Amino acid sequence: MSIEVNNLTKIYKLKRRQKKTAVDNISFSIPAGEIVGFIGPNGAGKSTTIKMMTGILIPDRGSISIDGLTFRKNRKQIMMKTGVVFGQKSVLCWDIPVIDSLKLFKDMYRVPDDVFKENMDSFSNILGLDEFIRQPPRLLSLGQRMKADLAASLIYDPDILFLDEPTIGIDVLSKERIRQFIKKINEERHTTVILTTHDVSDIETLCEKMIIIDKGSLIYDETLSDLKNIYRTTDLEEIIKKIYLAGEEKNEKIC
Amino acid sequence: MRKYADLAIIGTKEHTAYLNSVWANFLAKIVYLYMQFSLWNALFSSNAGRNIPLSHDETIRYIIAATLISTFMECDVTMWINGQIQSGDVANQLIRPIDYRIMIFAKHIGTSAVKLLIYTLPFGILTALFYHDDLFCKEQLLYGILSIILAYMIQFLYSLIIGLMAFWLIVTWPLNMLLAAVYKLLSGSWIPAAMFPKLLTTINMFLPFRAIYAIPVTIITTPMSPGSIRENLCFQLIWLAVLFLLSEVTWITGKNKLIVQGG
Repeated sequence: MSIEVNNLTKIYKLKRRQKKTAVDNISFSIPAGEIVGFIGPNGAGKSTTIKMMTGILIPDRGSISIDGLTFRKNRKQIMMKTGVVFGQKSVLCWDIPVIDSLKLFKDMYRVPDDVFKENMDSFSNILGLDEFIRQPPRLLSLGQRMKADLAASLIYDPDILFLDEPTIGIDVLSKERIRQFIKKINEERHTTVILTTHDVSDIETLCEKMIIIDKGSLIYDETLSDLKNIYRTTDLEEIIKKIYLAGEEKNEKIC
Repeated sequence: MRKYADLAIIGTKEHTAYLNSVWANFLAKIVYLYMQFSLWNALFSSNAGRNIPLSHDETIRYIIAATLISTFMECDVTMWINGQIQSGDVANQLIRPIDYRIMIFAKHIGTSAVKLLIYTLPFGILTALFYHDDLFCKEQLLYGILSIILAYMIQFLYSLIIGLMAFWLIVTWPLNMLLAAVYKLLSGSWIPAAMFPKLLTTINMFLPFRAIYAIPVTIITTPMSPGSIRENLCFQLIWLAVLFLLSEVTWITGKNKLIVQGG
């Protein structure tokens, strides 16, 4: 599924009639089957944009179209095809075994028994899910919890997967396994992946295209290799540092 | 339908996840009923029933039935919603292809079903061991059950509306504390509504609270005329419709106010 974002704006109303423009008139498109790195410094408006793209927040202006469908008219249809992982918020029920949450999603998204079994086997092989599937999330380590969250968001074969900092606070080996898993899902199922992260290795390993926003405005929307050519270096961390530093002074498009 | 059954099962498992809290809840109900029983016995023995609209026996039947119903009627929905909006976890519920309110209702039904089994049933057996007279008015029992079902829905919608106020207030517990006290008094869960002074009775006529405990408990414990039963059931139906519309308005306007906490 492809995504079209046009002139998206979100303004938060603060105390004493103050307003803050979290997302300011941004437009971009993401073709089906791509992995896109969606990055920006803290408070840039990434999470707000993701929350509008997943139908959680309602934009003040602009539109989001997913394969021609809109949240206003086709909310349920879009939700059935969208998977979301928030690194800092678990989708699992905190006090009950992981398997019960997975069964809930199986019925909620009408996953046939054979597909569910096939996915469970695949997740167990790659993520080692069977080691902790009968435990509640409150007893899991952060890495295990994230793997369970990924499984819960992919058990119904979504066409689009939003990953909001999926590797935050996770050890190097688990990070690597999660990245390989995302890559495999993208290659095998052609799932469109929108990845928000502060980890440069996540972007290097997974993304071809990058969207960078700062202070709510879009400043870059091209490929990762083009960005490296512009800055004439392959050190992505260095490039991102330069972009963020420049953004602190002024917000200009990178070209 | 299966997804709702799953949610109900999750509701039962969540409620029983911490066994100590289950025991504490059960014991709290027993202590509460014992205190109510002692209080009303003392009141009637010192006053000899003067100026009290209900007889000693009617009052005891009322408080036993009200406590029995409260074992499954109490609703954690306000706290759930408040917690989710305050922590930002509500985001994970809003991305699902089913209505957030129906999800909560399905979980609430599961919680109530397990409460019926682990609190109401043993509590009923325990009460039957110590109270040998007829507790319920058998001829009105069917109307009583219908009234309890209506009261259950009213209670849910009331808790839902207060919970959804978190879209504006973020933290609703101070409001909830205030309203809980008003609710407990006016609903008739502490004191039979028939014993309220005239002013309070008049105010209560225009509020939904007596539809939650006073009406169903009175129907199942006190003989009433068919006209009076119909009138009370109509009162519950009207409040059910009003609260349903209010919950719709609160949901639609509140959703637009949502700011997901915590990035």
